[in-house]
Amino acid sequence: MFLAWNEMKNNKLRFSLIVGVLTLVSYLVFFLSGLANGLENLNKEAVVKWDADGIILTEESDINLPQSSMNPDEYDGNGASEYATLGQFNAIATSGEQKSPVAIFGISEDEFIMPDVTEGRAFKYTGEVVADDSLREEGFQIGDELKLSSVDETLTISGFTEDARFNASPVLYGSFETLQKVRFGDSAENRDYKVNGFVVRTGNLDEIEVADSLQVVPTQTFIEGMPGYSEQSLTLSFMIYFLFIISAVILAIFLYVLTIQKISIFGVMKAQGVSSGYLAKSVVAQTFLLALAGTIIGFVLTIATGYFLPAAVPVAFNYMDMLIYGAVLVFVSVLGALFSIQTIVKIDPLEAIGG
Amino acid sequence: MALLQLINVNKVFKSGQTEIEALKTTSFAAEGGELIAIIGPSGSGKSTFLTIAGGLQSPSNGEVLINGQDITHLKEKQRASIRLQEIGFVLQSSNLVPFLNVQQQLQLLDKVKKNNMEAEKLKELYDSLGIADLMGSFPSDLSGGQRQRVAIAKALYTNPSIILADEPTASLDSDRAFEVMEMLKKAATNNGKTVIVVTHDTRLIQYCDKVYKITDGQLKQEVSNAMESSSFSNH
Ligand SMILES: Nc1ncnc2c1ncn2[C@@H]1O[C@H](COP(=O)(O)OP(=O)(O)O)[C@@H](O)[C@H]1O
Ligand SMILES: [Mg+2]
Repeated sequence: MFLAWNEMKNNKLRFSLIVGVLTLVSYLVFFLSGLANGLENLNKEAVVKWDADGIILTEESDINLPQSSMNPDEYDGNGASEYATLGQFNAIATSGEQKSPVAIFGISEDEFIMPDVTEGRAFKYTGEVVADDSLREEGFQIGDELKLSSVDETLTISGFTEDARFNASPVLYGSFETLQKVRFGDSAENRDYKVNGFVVRTGNLDEIEVADSLQVVPTQTFIEGMPGYSEQSLTLSFMIYFLFIISAVILAIFLYVLTIQKISIFGVMKAQGVSSGYLAKSVVAQTFLLALAGTIIGFVLTIATGYFLPAAVPVAFNYMDMLIYGAVLVFVSVLGALFSIQTIVKIDPLEAIGG
Repeated sequence: MALLQLINVNKVFKSGQTEIEALKTTSFAAEGGELIAIIGPSGSGKSTFLTIAGGLQSPSNGEVLINGQDITHLKEKQRASIRLQEIGFVLQSSNLVPFLNVQQQLQLLDKVKKNNMEAEKLKELYDSLGIADLMGSFPSDLSGGQRQRVAIAKALYTNPSIILADEPTASLDSDRAFEVMEMLKKAATNNGKTVIVVTHDTRLIQYCDKVYKITDGQLKQEVSNAMESSSFSNH
């Protein structure tokens, strides 16, 4: 530490530049992780909120909720500690100037997937819905009448709930009657009720028995099967992994150049009897300090930027993720330094002192 | 027992077909308290001799004993440790670390070795070297002479039993050169160290107890009394 610290103190510009580059890399890593997290939330938020273990869908739905359709009595709750019937319909909702794609969920008020109402009240009459509060941020309000695309029905917002987005659309929770009206308009009364799936809580998904035409899908599989979900998160994860490699390589190059420049200084110290081990430790300590500083500054910058971002940017910081990414970043940077150690070990003190 | 002993040592450098015997077979011993000069023209093998004696390179044949311990066949790691414990180098060019100030140059040695010079003795050393006021200065702020004196402080700080100086006065004017020689003389007589100074400046041999001359790799002790050349003495 002694050598490492004093060298940095006396070469501030040089080492600030390295910290600067690492700051940018870590900033990008943290931001991408926030973006990945935010985009995932956008898709799965409502599902995560259910806190369910699985969902029963039809075999032919290909784990796609809108494509799954069954009768409300096709599952009797066997093997589950709790279950909820779920109907779903996608539409575009318009209120005056405001327009937004929505996912309408038909549920029973006594089911466990009934959302907590954070403002206003729960739906009561047919046509009333509890909306995700991202709609409020877009300008929708309690009491607003929502016109729907493709049908003549209107819905009324009776309250708002938090964290209820499904496949990037805000969710409107309403009763089955509401959903039926939205689906079929005036002919609703003549139609059979259909549901899209059964959401289940259970200690063991394998204990649930369903007809051959149905399948039990674990929640995680259901989320990963959402259109675009896996593609998105894989892409972003790969970018983050590449950034890890980039930061290791950048540091390896910087430190290698610095080490080459210091060969004669290291050689003189080795002539005096300072061990290669001490010099190597010093370089590793230096890298650790540089990487740590860069990562911390990058972290602070990311959080600061988060405050100034418009709500439309789907960034959500998960501090646990960031902590792990930060630690990995510091770790791979130190790995980059190991590259220079062999150079230090090979320095011949005799050549360095020009004997 | 001799602090430093070379027994039938030689050094041959091979480059392609040609072989250069930089140091011809020679034996050498030095006791504590002796200040020894090695003189000879450029390319005669002075540095080769000194670096072999200091364990910086191995001889082609023969043995090197430091404090009775044969270091010839030790691994670099162990030789480094012996250099640290037993030997103080003063090199021709500055051997200071550019990003450490004078005080830190010596602090670095505390990080890698215990039982270095006590504070009181160190202060005396600083005073006698005239560098007490330079503690916060970096090598780039020092003159050549000041740097050389700091290098000497560094070499003495670890309490080595052997001090090897390769042309320590090369970058100094005469007055400074004489001062440096006095310092090294004191280290030998007062502290019982073996001091070997390589130089091609014959004026410096007046300080030395023994003088060896090296020509074309052949080391020979000069019989003439060192005091003969004391006409340069100005103190
Ligand atoms: N590493 C080496 N490889 C080949 N030849 C060397 C090497 N080191 C020294 N020599 C040769 O050995 C001879 C003695 O060199 P050196 O001990 O440096 O002389 P001095 O210090 O007296 O000027 C010179 O001819 C020099 O070219
Ligand atoms: Mg030489």
